[in-house]
Amino acid sequence: MTYLRLAGVSVGALLAANAALAQGYPERQITMVVPFAAGGPTDTVARLVAEKMGTELGTQIIIENLGGAGGTLGAAQVAEAEADGYTVLLHHIGMATSETLYRNLAYDTLNAFEYVGLVTEVPMTVLARKDFEPADMASFVEYVKANGDSLTLANAGIGAASHLCGMLLMQALEVPLVTVPYKGTGPAMTDLLGGQVDIMCDQTTNTTKQIQGGTVKAYAVTTPERLELFPDLPTVAEAGIPEAEVSIWHGIYTPKGTPAEVNEALSASLQKALADPAIVQAFADLGTTPSPAEDATPAALKEKLETEIARWKPVIEAAGVYAD
Amino acid sequence: MKTEIDKGDAIAGILFILAGLFFAYQSLGMELGTSLRMGPGYFPLVLAGVLILLGITVMVKAVRNEAEPIGPLAIRGILLILPAPIFFGLTVRGLGFVASLFLTALIAAFASRKMKPHYAVLLAVLVTIFSTLVFSYALGLPFQRFGPWLRF
Amino acid sequence: MEFLSNLALGFATATSVANLGFCLIGVILGTLVGVLPGIGATATIAMLLPITFQLEPVSSLIMLAGIYYGAQYGGSTTAILINMPGESSSAVTAIDGYQLARKGKAGTALAVAALGSFFAGSVATFLVAIFAPPLTVVALKFGAAEYFSLMVLGLVSSVALAHGSILKALAMVVLGLLLGLVGTDIYSGTPRFIMGIREYADGLNFVAVAVGVFGIAEILRNLESEQTREVMKTSVRNLWPSREDFRRMIAPMLRGTALGSALGILPGGGAILASFASYTVEKRMSKTPQEFGRGAIEGVAGPESANNAGAQTSFIPLLTLGIPANPVMALMVGAMIIQGIVPGPNVATEQPALFWGIIASMWIGNLMLIVLNLPLIGLWVKLLTVPYYVLFPIIMAFCSIGVYSVRSNVYDLYAVAAFGLLGYVMLKLRCEPAPLLLGFVLGPLLEENLRRAMILSRGDPATFVSRPISAGLLLLSLVVLVVVFLPQVRKKRDEVFVEDN
Repeated sequence: MTYLRLAGVSVGALLAANAALAQGYPERQITMVVPFAAGGPTDTVARLVAEKMGTELGTQIIIENLGGAGGTLGAAQVAEAEADGYTVLLHHIGMATSETLYRNLAYDTLNAFEYVGLVTEVPMTVLARKDFEPADMASFVEYVKANGDSLTLANAGIGAASHLCGMLLMQALEVPLVTVPYKGTGPAMTDLLGGQVDIMCDQTTNTTKQIQGGTVKAYAVTTPERLELFPDLPTVAEAGIPEAEVSIWHGIYTPKGTPAEVNEALSASLQKALADPAIVQAFADLGTTPSPAEDATPAALKEKLETEIARWKPVIEAAGVYAD
Repeated sequence: MKTEIDKGDAIAGILFILAGLFFAYQSLGMELGTSLRMGPGYFPLVLAGVLILLGITVMVKAVRNEAEPIGPLAIRGILLILPAPIFFGLTVRGLGFVASLFLTALIAAFASRKMKPHYAVLLAVLVTIFSTLVFSYALGLPFQRFGPWLRF
Repeated sequence: MEFLSNLALGFATATSVANLGFCLIGVILGTLVGVLPGIGATATIAMLLPITFQLEPVSSLIMLAGIYYGAQYGGSTTAILINMPGESSSAVTAIDGYQLARKGKAGTALAVAALGSFFAGSVATFLVAIFAPPLTVVALKFGAAEYFSLMVLGLVSSVALAHGSILKALAMVVLGLLLGLVGTDIYSGTPRFIMGIREYADGLNFVAVAVGVFGIAEILRNLESEQTREVMKTSVRNLWPSREDFRRMIAPMLRGTALGSALGILPGGGAILASFASYTVEKRMSKTPQEFGRGAIEGVAGPESANNAGAQTSFIPLLTLGIPANPVMALMVGAMIIQGIVPGPNVATEQPALFWGIIASMWIGNLMLIVLNLPLIGLWVKLLTVPYYVLFPIIMAFCSIGVYSVRSNVYDLYAVAAFGLLGYVMLKLRCEPAPLLLGFVLGPLLEENLRRAMILSRGDPATFVSRPISAGLLLLSLVVLVVVFLPQVRKKRDEVFVEDN
């Protein structure tokens, strides 16, 4: 601390630090690792909940964007971090799929982390360019089945939400579409708007405004029930392909060995944050809803991760695409 | 008329060829695909081939009438400037931002013969104070100021 | 006249005392952080982003936009003063700007850059205001084939970046293209040339490469002789461009603005080409092309204008489609969403005050920047009188922080060292770094779009010539090729002739 004082730290910061020391966890600021670039949908979710969780815990949660290799770099970093509760990870469905997509992962997904809870499950929408022929989901299914290999399917790169949903869609419809990968959602969406590609399936985070603006044609949602936001869009189950049900779920993890009380404290603050009207509204703008309190728990996240790893393994292996 | 070899061009040519060979060798280990459906190795293999050809041409052209000298090398600079960012990378998580940055600036400061040791320390201290205040406190970047290696 | 009332609404929003204040704060912060060596616009915005979250949506975005322009100005300043570009666009400014600084004309170079940027920024802002929707339609016409052809044009033009051996410049471009391919292949997921280092799976970091081959290589070159830099001797007198300098910068400024505005609207790498393209054009148009690379005013005025015009028009896809055109715009989207505004095609109609307020603030921000920066030039130039051996430890510290802060990847720091060494070796061998950097930027775009175009056309290469825009661009490339190489061929013949005598 002598050095700190030499470094000219402000008196206010010192007082704040001392005040925090008096209580138990958390004693200092918490770093939330987001394994994707700043500005993306996952980063947005993280920044929204981190602020409220920090307020609940009486500390500051700062976001560290540690992107790269489909989120596995950030996850690996957290897996190796000290299990003291001051480094947490907010990751999405990729936590489960990278277990199969990457054949030489630096960590063992199921044994390297403790669980805090689910944050949100973002629905996905099946889209096509705005002058795509079929009028509704029923004729879409028929049309795609009939013209399969002459249609193009855009995705935002291996492991991206649009890639996962696309794989499911092709397997459910039993047609191989011509897959066109892009580097990120932006360019993929641009080409869909420009009519350069035919079909894409992506999170409502990216698609809601485009659907409302009429720049793309929406056919279905991938949730078990219809969305309040788009009551006219049928679910994939209604269209006879329940196998294509998928959502981009987000969870918060801590390194293995983090004390259970710490995870409980984080989980409690997460539940409070998710019940905050401002968060509910912000999530609604993105076309999603916060996870209910019973899902924002360590047990629910653990179960989700286990079932999802088991679910995606055969899907990815059948598609034969690996990211390594 | 005497013929000389321009060392600079000759070495550049050799380096281009070596780089080309490296990329070509690596590309051959990947799926090449066809022109219609290119694999990951296709495009880099073509480029590597072009690079090797260019390298050969540069080398051939190194034989000419006049050669330009390469000049002195900044050995001390290479030995002290280049390790600075590497050192920062190796220690920023362990030592934390403050100590790591101080040592990084200190290492770099010794790259010049004109730098006196006590001025180097002073300079490193000032840079560290400024950066810690600006980046860590004012901008709130997610750097740990003091890393786990410094905790007891 | 609808756009006049829209613009009036915009100015009314942007000129509220609070918003003017936030614009000013943004511009100042952006300049101050951006001027730190090795810290470019992306890093600056990423660092300053959280500051804006507490504000009203309009104020927050106005401040963010101010930070963006400020960072760009700051980035150009370091490019000129110490050859340390923090962004692809200012890499071009560094070529002649730094040479001007070495000649003691740092003040002139900075003033030309500032004036060029202001002019381009003003024109482009009005383009955005008037033509945003129709320009969007053009941008959407660009598919993979068109992008590929555009990249080919950029590549062909890149040869003009060289002022020495064209052969070596070509080799550097190709080497750059290959380095650009390092990372995971998006089509197959195959990791390429990363030697098992997963940290490079998303490719080498541009800032690391640029700082290495330009900035670090230059530091090493300066350490060779340990002499005080030439800059100090003549500098302080030439703060302001002469009448002659003004005359020389007008045409490049106009052409740069046109090029930058046009290329900036293309989401997906168009803006990257703008400053490189402008440099090529100016070198071709110049009566004294031999000055380029040795301190030509035109080589600063053109690219800086192009760069700033592109920076403005790259807002078009964001504002009209809700799609970010580059990493900076992606950060802006994140900021908008956190403010509760999800950008999409309807932002202009749903939030007219926000939309037009941002556009108006772009111009105001540019105005503030010029007012702020012209007096600062004297200060920046004074910085050069600091002994070099004091300056470069500071530079090394800041660029370590800057490179690391972009994505917290320590391997990016190792890349800085590696590319510093490469840059220095290449400098000793008289190979220039600018073509390498252009190749590095274009490599992935070129391959990605080539392969995508082939997939979309079901393997028919005719797609490149049967699509009119693509065919036009390829034809233009051919013309450039002929124009670039013909004088060379003629010169060669002359040389041969002389030797035979």
